Amino acid sequence: MNNKNVNINENENKKTPLYDKHLALGAKIVSFAGFYMPLYYKSIIDEHLNVRNHSGLFDISHMGEIIVKGRDAGPFLDFVLTADVSSIFPNTIAYSLILNENGGVIDDLTVYKFSNESYMIVANAANTKKDFAWIHTQMINLQKSKLQDQSKFQDLTVENYSDKIGLLSVQGPKSRNIIYPLAEDISDNYDKSKNNFCNIFNFQYNIKPFKELSHFEFSCIKFKEINIEAVISRSGYTGEFGFEIFVSADDVNKLWDYILDNKELSNLMPVGLGARDTLRFEAALPLYGHELDETITPYDAGLEKYLSKNKDFIGKEALEKVKNKEKKLIFFKLAGKQIPRHMQKILDENLKPIGCVASGTYSPLNKMPIGSAYISDSNVIPSSLKNFYIDIRGNFEKAEVVNPPFHKMKK
Amino acid sequence: MTDKKNFYFAKSHEWLSNYSNNDYSLGISDFAQSELGDVVYIQLPQAGKQYKKGEKIGEIESVKSVSEIYAPVDLTVKNINSNLNETPELINNDPYGKGLIAKVELHNPSDLSLLMDNNSYELFVKSNHE
Repeated sequence: MNNKNVNINENENKKTPLYDKHLALGAKIVSFAGFYMPLYYKSIIDEHLNVRNHSGLFDISHMGEIIVKGRDAGPFLDFVLTADVSSIFPNTIAYSLILNENGGVIDDLTVYKFSNESYMIVANAANTKKDFAWIHTQMINLQKSKLQDQSKFQDLTVENYSDKIGLLSVQGPKSRNIIYPLAEDISDNYDKSKNNFCNIFNFQYNIKPFKELSHFEFSCIKFKEINIEAVISRSGYTGEFGFEIFVSADDVNKLWDYILDNKELSNLMPVGLGARDTLRFEAALPLYGHELDETITPYDAGLEKYLSKNKDFIGKEALEKVKNKEKKLIFFKLAGKQIPRHMQKILDENLKPIGCVASGTYSPLNKMPIGSAYISDSNVIPSSLKNFYIDIRGNFEKAEVVNPPFHKMKK
Repeated sequence: MTDKKNFYFAKSHEWLSNYSNNDYSLGISDFAQSELGDVVYIQLPQAGKQYKKGEKIGEIESVKSVSEIYAPVDLTVKNINSNLNETPELINNDPYGKGLIAKVELHNPSDLSLLMDNNSYELFVKSNHE
């Protein structure tokens, strides 16, 4: 037996603060995005189904946090990101893309608005350095630019907080059952006009009772007993109800233990990156490096709704010219049992190549292989693709177009 | 725990175990299945076919990876474990029992001396993967 996918790069890999916890839990460790991360603890399939039916705890401290502060932070982010960021309400999150001048996707990310003067960007681990360098360069360029009003973009700082922050995610329909009893709002006296100070990021935030948070809203809380301050958002990457919890890197081990010590509250188990991928893919959420990269435009990826029409942003001009899609993203399932993998060829009924697999995996919920692919003919109507095949190591496996997502959250 | 006194292991993590005369069961080791994770598909060898030592006899696919299975010595496949078509997870749950891949006949039983016994294999796994 020869395992082709073992890819542990000994050089320059980082560990999250929870690395020893993962080892102690018997995790299978892999190298991902420059980090040693748990792929699974016992079983990807069991962990996946536990999140769909109960809840799961993920260490996603590898993800990046970039803090943008100052009076000009809003207008600056509006220029660098595709989404309208400055105009969203405080305590809300926007999903956005960050594009290069050609309209290619540098990264997809979420932006947390604490106030008009303070924002947090949450970036993919593999892209954090690149994003930070890009954003920092844009800031310097704008500050130097003679075309810009001299007063603009002077009150602005961009900082990479990634090493200072631990990030946990609790996902699944029962997530409330564990988070509600363990957490409490920082102040019981809500005065909406009053701002509080968030010690983790050193800035002001608005109070919002955490049990009232809607999807893509956040607030600051405290975990009882362990007395740890956290930023908590109703968000995730699984297609389930869930929370993402930001704490100081120094506190994340305590919080991990506190949640696991109370796991009976929601039948929770630790979940590795393997199930994180199968969960996100059943929910048809894009993964950078698969559905997105710098050669793919937001139109190709079907993400044009995240391009603001109300403002100018980097990449917009280039996109106006290439408004025609160059390729089209489709989703499919297979009748056979072999799993399609990234970059495998898609063949039409005459076995002519028509595209490439973006993501391929096994769906634990539907118990079958599923995938996404870019078809080179952007005019193709997915439902018209009747007979097509995936070339899986020389076997032509019949595929069938599926309307995404593969899994919808139970209401 | 399966008593693995009469098991022979290849560096590529397949095992052979004698059950009568020249007839052996063939499977993959517990270590191998734990490295793969949840097995979701296996391409079984062909019954009746002869394979040379080191030749690919099948493929195992888990959620995250694909691995090839090799013939640990020259052999002929007598029967395949077709239960694995419907329940490939037997390889995870019982790699030395119900998760065996095939029954095979060895061409030269003396080839077994080229393989490792259980103790040597455990040391091999330790020294290579820890």
